[in-house]
Amino acid sequence: MKTVVYSCPFVPAEWIAAHGFGPKRIIPSIDHDRAPSGLTQGLCPYADAFTGEAVADSRLGAIIFTTVCDQMRRIPDTRTSRTETPLFVLNVPATWETASVHKLYRNEILRLGRFLCTLGGERPNNERLASIVLDYDRRRSELRSLRDRMTARQFSEKIAAFHRDGSLESDFDPPSGPTGAGARPTPIALAGGPMLRHHFDLFDIVEDAGGTIVLDATGTGERTIPPPVDRRLAREDPLAALADVYFGRIPDAFRRPNSELYIWLKKEFAQRGVEAVLYVRHTWCDTWQAEAMRMKEWCGLPFLTIESGGDSHVDGRTLSRIQSFMEVVR
Amino acid sequence: MNDRPRMISLSEWDDRYKELSDAGLKEPAYGGPLSRHVDDGDLRLRALRFDNSAAALRLWNFLLTEEDRLSAARASGKKLVGTMKDLGTVPVIAYSSPELVAFYPDGAWWIPCVMELGAGLLGIADSLGIDESFCPVRAMLGAFATEAHFPIPDLLICSVGATCDDFSAIAQRLASLGHSIAWWEAPARRKPDPGEESITLPGGFRAAVDQVDFMKSELQRLRRIIEKEAGSKIDDSALCAGIKAANGVRRILAELRLTVFRAAAAPLPALEMLIAEMLAIHFCSDRTESALVLQGLLDEACARQAAGVGVLPVDAVRVFWVNPVADLRVMNLLEKCGGRICGSEFLFSHALDEIPEDLPPMDALARMALADPMIGGAEDRADRVCADIELFGAEALLISRIPGASHCATEGQVIGDRVRSRLGIPVQEIEVPPVSDSLLPTLSTRIEALVETVLQRRKK
Repeated sequence: MKTVVYSCPFVPAEWIAAHGFGPKRIIPSIDHDRAPSGLTQGLCPYADAFTGEAVADSRLGAIIFTTVCDQMRRIPDTRTSRTETPLFVLNVPATWETASVHKLYRNEILRLGRFLCTLGGERPNNERLASIVLDYDRRRSELRSLRDRMTARQFSEKIAAFHRDGSLESDFDPPSGPTGAGARPTPIALAGGPMLRHHFDLFDIVEDAGGTIVLDATGTGERTIPPPVDRRLAREDPLAALADVYFGRIPDAFRRPNSELYIWLKKEFAQRGVEAVLYVRHTWCDTWQAEAMRMKEWCGLPFLTIESGGDSHVDGRTLSRIQSFMEVVR
Repeated sequence: MNDRPRMISLSEWDDRYKELSDAGLKEPAYGGPLSRHVDDGDLRLRALRFDNSAAALRLWNFLLTEEDRLSAARASGKKLVGTMKDLGTVPVIAYSSPELVAFYPDGAWWIPCVMELGAGLLGIADSLGIDESFCPVRAMLGAFATEAHFPIPDLLICSVGATCDDFSAIAQRLASLGHSIAWWEAPARRKPDPGEESITLPGGFRAAVDQVDFMKSELQRLRRIIEKEAGSKIDDSALCAGIKAANGVRRILAELRLTVFRAAAAPLPALEMLIAEMLAIHFCSDRTESALVLQGLLDEACARQAAGVGVLPVDAVRVFWVNPVADLRVMNLLEKCGGRICGSEFLFSHALDEIPEDLPPMDALARMALADPMIGGAEDRADRVCADIELFGAEALLISRIPGASHCATEGQVIGDRVRSRLGIPVQEIEVPPVSDSLLPTLSTRIEALVETVLQRRKK
């Protein structure tokens, strides 16, 4: 079975699986050994890392980019993405308040299906698609239930593993207790755009400094897990059910307006008792850079923005800033 | 009076203005000496060199008095529509209603240049979390905050989707500050799939019929929003008249571009041509007057061409320019380095091409909107640039990167590669901040290198 790789949460894995491909949503890493992109200054390191990692794998069935990010939309035009692997750009509308954009998204999913069929995929009938949609829904429910049974890092890595290959095995150690002698760890929300692989170290850094990440609201975390599907709709019109939980329900900064993101954050911050926010953004990512100050003003909590500028690890300066921040908020 | 075409400084314009006035210059109400605008804070004018014609004087005065026109329109009871990002589409609809005047708050991106950072708009954007990693259009945020550069519109409309992330993010920040925005979706224009029904758009791009239909439905939705603001319907006949009037402006501009870019000696300088093109986007808030201003420039260019005279030597290197510059002075720099402008693609070619008049108006507008170079791939843009380079006979390509702009990280490579491989002409990339004084030596070196390369090639 050929693998179709992507990084955007608005690509429905079920649809790819239903066409007979293995959906693989990756969290890329910065690899300085890879050939340089050749693009001039101004390219987001996340977009660059995703492209580099995807085009380096010649066994892939296809690579999907989306319009959620302007640079991701444009990369397939460049020689950086020159590869024998077929590329597809999925148009994910930024607006969401009208029926016509929901229809546009659905039509784009159908277009993706036709693309997959040109690669040897088979158009699924409703029964098969419904079965896959409901199976994913069941497994996502199981995934969500793991949150209280593992550490924050383990849970976020579990989400990443699920998106990578649908894996749900629970082979992690039980959650560790509070750090420090009797100290209650400060509940922190990790927010912002998508993480690179080394950003999982942030969980440990926060924990070592006396905090605990109680909410992963990044573009690779809980925020991007589609909510439960309408099971009746899934049986009657599985494509509509898919479009609803992906396009209709995942909150993100790029939506216009992006008020749903704040509604989701408000609910989750309250439920998890968030007391401070660690905000991750990539250099040149306009969408999440513009949101940083707004979110800081909105939440009224201690707020630290860290910028990811193309390093393959959390650098010393960032480490020091996080440690100082944790000292202040503890 | 010596009417020899030449480029003159602002102080020289004072003498020239007196000469023209003494000779019986007739000016519209917004006329007057250019140097008066410096008193309003437009300090950059002191560093620029201008064409010395009465037509250019009118162009500059028209450009620099837009805020007065907007205020006057509001005072007369008209509603102001602030349309953002689509660069040329929504104003055609808005100007089809006599109750409305449309303008682009985006135009604030030149305020830091024109006022030499004196307005503090970029500092205000910084304070709102929109720092220098964004395109200079972030000045718009400061302009809204100060309410000092244009009246706050009665209706704000913004296209998002396949637009640059900078603008979309800045507009969302604006909305978070309490400005209500009517968002509309610009879908990413894609190449039609094999066997998919498609049509040719104005300017030559092809698009799937489905995409045109979607665009039409979005514009139809906007039309209703605009009608509500106007307080009256904009029927198809009004829209047809609006399209016809917009095409009138576009036709004059097309002739002006052809005349100037293909003349042996440049009849008008690069800077005035840049400003002239900008008029096509929203008519600088007066559609009728913008046509007159452009006609004046065209008459001047034709007269100079007929007389075999121009503002630059005939051997000036013919350069095609991609992307607008944040600092107007750099257009002068091209000429100082031995170049002249022979073609341009300032990100709004869809506002220059004529809108089809043989279609129902909403279909025609949808096709035009979908031809926006910004919402398509860089390869489309590159093809258009190649075609125009051949049309105008340019010998080199200069790509002007916009600092911080999300699209500039990738498209320069695509356009440059395509032009090199297809046309075999030299390509240079520069980046121009709003006030580029400290970078002028570097920019000069790069432009001179391009010019010298062309001069060497001429000898072969």
